[in-house]
Amino acid sequence: MAYSNKVIDHYENPRNVGSLPKDDVNVGTGLVGAPECGDVMKLQVKVNPATGVIDDAKFKTFGCGSAIASSSLATEWLKGKTVDEAMAIKNTDIVNELSLPPVKIHCSVLAEDAIKAAIADYKKKQGVERSAEKAAQPTA
Amino acid sequence: MSSSISSPTLQVCRACSGGAPVDAHFCPQCSKILALGRHGDYFTFLGLPRKLKLDAEDLEQRFRRLSRQFHPDYFYNATPAERRASLERSSYLNDAYRTLRQSIARIEYLLQIEGLAPKNPQEASRQVPPALLEEVFALNEELDEIRDLRASGASAEVWKGRLEGARQPIEAKRVEHESQLQELSARWDALVDAGAGESDRRAALEALRDRFLERNYINNLLAGIERELNS
Repeated sequence: MAYSNKVIDHYENPRNVGSLPKDDVNVGTGLVGAPECGDVMKLQVKVNPATGVIDDAKFKTFGCGSAIASSSLATEWLKGKTVDEAMAIKNTDIVNELSLPPVKIHCSVLAEDAIKAAIADYKKKQGVERSAEKAAQPTA
Repeated sequence: MSSSISSPTLQVCRACSGGAPVDAHFCPQCSKILALGRHGDYFTFLGLPRKLKLDAEDLEQRFRRLSRQFHPDYFYNATPAERRASLERSSYLNDAYRTLRQSIARIEYLLQIEGLAPKNPQEASRQVPPALLEEVFALNEELDEIRDLRASGASAEVWKGRLEGARQPIEAKRVEHESQLQELSARWDALVDAGAGESDRRAALEALRDRFLERNYINNLLAGIERELNS
């Protein structure tokens, strides 16, 4: 099976590989996997608390070329988007952009799941943070 | 995908319209080979109980016996319907034998016919426990660091030592995984023998399915280490 040029480009020059501080309250981390191929994908977003815009996104994927390309592309798209806009990214957008063949569609689904998991983690942290602030308010 | 409950028990002979048990290969009335229309699963096809422990020699004998019975050469002068039936049964028999003779393929097949195989990769993906992903990710990162270490010109003693250190916990996991598969397979067989209820059977199958989620991760990690050692 031949990879498209865009997949090869992302595979050979992956964008935004790395990691962000996991414990930062403005960082959301998504870790997802595909047991059928043994792939594992970590995707992180760093959100600007003032604007709600994603300032930075990083990924690290251990898996096939399509999984790497899907997550690399996802981080490119995430930067500059608001959290809500990020949630609207669909796996089919990734399939179209990378011309993924049917057998590799699950790689794009994995990337979409990773985005959703990262945003969910960020929101959870923000929720916990806010309730922690509330709890810290003087009670007497 | 049909579950064990809704499996059909009868088929109809297209030659004489008589009824035949679903696991019959030849019509009990007219003795013609039956078309492979309504049929059971690989286990019933070979006349075996739906169990995971299987005598390899017995399986091979069953395969050979049926192979001879279905062989297209014997149907050379038969009707087109019978010739087609002999081909279909031969081909299904080959699939059944290939699947059932390997213990792993056998478990995967059992999960499939019992309706426990993930419907699609997304569903499988959502079943993986987060702790397993964390562990696999960390082990993959360790392998990456060892590759970097090697690429930066570290002595073979150093990187091989570290690689061995990385291999040990994965190998231990593999051994544990294999023994759990055996234990769960034996549990399933005991439940079948005891005619256990649906909920006990399902629990055993779900435990087997959960073990399968880690299988490719373990194998990929070990393969990655082997590649590194042999390159």
